[in-house]
Amino acid sequence: MYKLDTSTKNENVEVILDGRSVSLPSGMSIAAALMGTGKIISRISPTSGKPCSPHCLMGVCFECMMEIDGVQRQACMTEIRSGMKINRHLEKENNNESS
Amino acid sequence: MSHHDVIVIGAGPAGLSAASCLAEMGLDVLCLDEQAKIGGQIYRNIQDAPKDRCKVLGEDYDNGASIAKRFTDSKATYLDNVLVWQVESNGHVCYSRLGESKEVKANYIIAATGAMERPVPIPGWTLPGVMGAGAANNLYKEAGLTPEGRIVLAGSGPLLLLEASLLARKGINIEVILEITPTLPSPKAFPHAPKALVRSDFLWKGLSMIREIKNAKVPYYKGVSNIEASGKETLEKVTAQCGTKSLSFDADLLLLHFGVIPNTHIFRQIGCELSWNVEQRYWFPETDAWGRTSCERIFAAGDGAKVSGAVAAKYKGEIAALEVARCSGILSADERGLFAEPLLKGVRHDHWPRPFVDQLYAPRPDQFVFAEDTIICRCENISVKDIQKMVNEGVSELNEMKCITRAGMGPCQGRMCGPAMAEVIAWQTKNSPDKAGLMNIRPPIKPIPLEEVAAMELASDEAPGKNWLLDKK
Repeated sequence: MYKLDTSTKNENVEVILDGRSVSLPSGMSIAAALMGTGKIISRISPTSGKPCSPHCLMGVCFECMMEIDGVQRQACMTEIRSGMKINRHLEKENNNESS
Repeated sequence: MSHHDVIVIGAGPAGLSAASCLAEMGLDVLCLDEQAKIGGQIYRNIQDAPKDRCKVLGEDYDNGASIAKRFTDSKATYLDNVLVWQVESNGHVCYSRLGESKEVKANYIIAATGAMERPVPIPGWTLPGVMGAGAANNLYKEAGLTPEGRIVLAGSGPLLLLEASLLARKGINIEVILEITPTLPSPKAFPHAPKALVRSDFLWKGLSMIREIKNAKVPYYKGVSNIEASGKETLEKVTAQCGTKSLSFDADLLLLHFGVIPNTHIFRQIGCELSWNVEQRYWFPETDAWGRTSCERIFAAGDGAKVSGAVAAKYKGEIAALEVARCSGILSADERGLFAEPLLKGVRHDHWPRPFVDQLYAPRPDQFVFAEDTIICRCENISVKDIQKMVNEGVSELNEMKCITRAGMGPCQGRMCGPAMAEVIAWQTKNSPDKAGLMNIRPPIKPIPLEEVAAMELASDEAPGKNWLLDKK
């Protein structure tokens, strides 16, 4: 749905995403880094049980809430840093790796 | 608890100008920003965006560079990644930053909270792949993300076309633009047309935007209704009605935009009085000519007070700052007036075309007639039908509706569903949406762990009983 364009020359950082070590671009929000690498599903809605993707990217909609270093936070308002532990908790409803 | 002369909330054009102006006069200014870098939404990442990205975004984006530089050159203190979760009319602010919550206070607060895209629910808008057009814009400014796949743009307003022209400029293929604006402009717009002509530069910009879209040969429908997104797990298809014609497009990404409205949560939590803008159908904090709200120490500046764009926001931030400087004893009333003169002139010059454009894209009540299965509250998964049912049972006030249906109780605290719920109630009761009232906003206005509150150092000079959250400690 999104790709990083040629003007982006950010270095990658290692984070633990859903228990696995992955390399994501830095210098941007977690939401942007995930979307830029094809991971568009941000969470499973606790009320509808359906997958969500970030909607507003400006801190309003809370669709990108995920567990970041143990706390539920908005991924679009949290800058990505090396070593972060990010859990989207997608496994409850869906075992497939989201794309 | 640290004390400052002024706390500025937000680092967009209004917040940055206000903070720079006051810091240049020698006041101790603390600027609290939710983002990681200054610029707000319009000038997001302005200081670090690569040159070729700035070139695509054009001079309207570049204009932010001087505002940002002025701020960085000033002695204002900047705090990034700040979640302000409580503001009080006495000048106290609680915020969370990097896992720690703090309370700070100031003589005056200038809240420049900016605008948000007007949330207009359509069937299927909760599907992954449906986003705000502003979201795509932000992703590009911040991270250089470019949409790929089959892209559909839908909604109304100048920013929808701006995003379309931006994508066209980057050579990205747009499947279709579905605009709900009627083919013939509203007759209400015409009396404002002569004034708009004063700003031929502005109109020229609009025309070249439309030309860019035309040159890219993007299919463009106007007067569209019944926009629907559908798909199994993620977005697959967008359908709509254009006159008697049924439209259907395969899509990977649907960018929605229905204009922008002030982001008023902070003002509502403080208890500032709000007014209803009848034409644009949104709430805004009441202010005097200097931006002072109904609370003496609280000022509102920029699009958070009234949507009038980045240029006006820059002036209005500084206008509020001048009044704060007068109240702080830095300027006399005469000096304040003198400094404000060119700024007020700037606001007036910028305002010439706005009534015309506002009328062209003014929201119409019939655009808020939603299909009953549409999810209106995304957090709590409440549908339009659930709201309509309660209206039929006599519920016509938003707080009551929230108690009964849970709509507005999720983490977004009614940011996404509040305005649309008021429209549903208004349509059914044949009333104006403001008659449905406003949802009460209570701290914390951003989700924070309670252990942060427990670990906070609190001021000892305050009498207990004033603060419902902190008194629970």
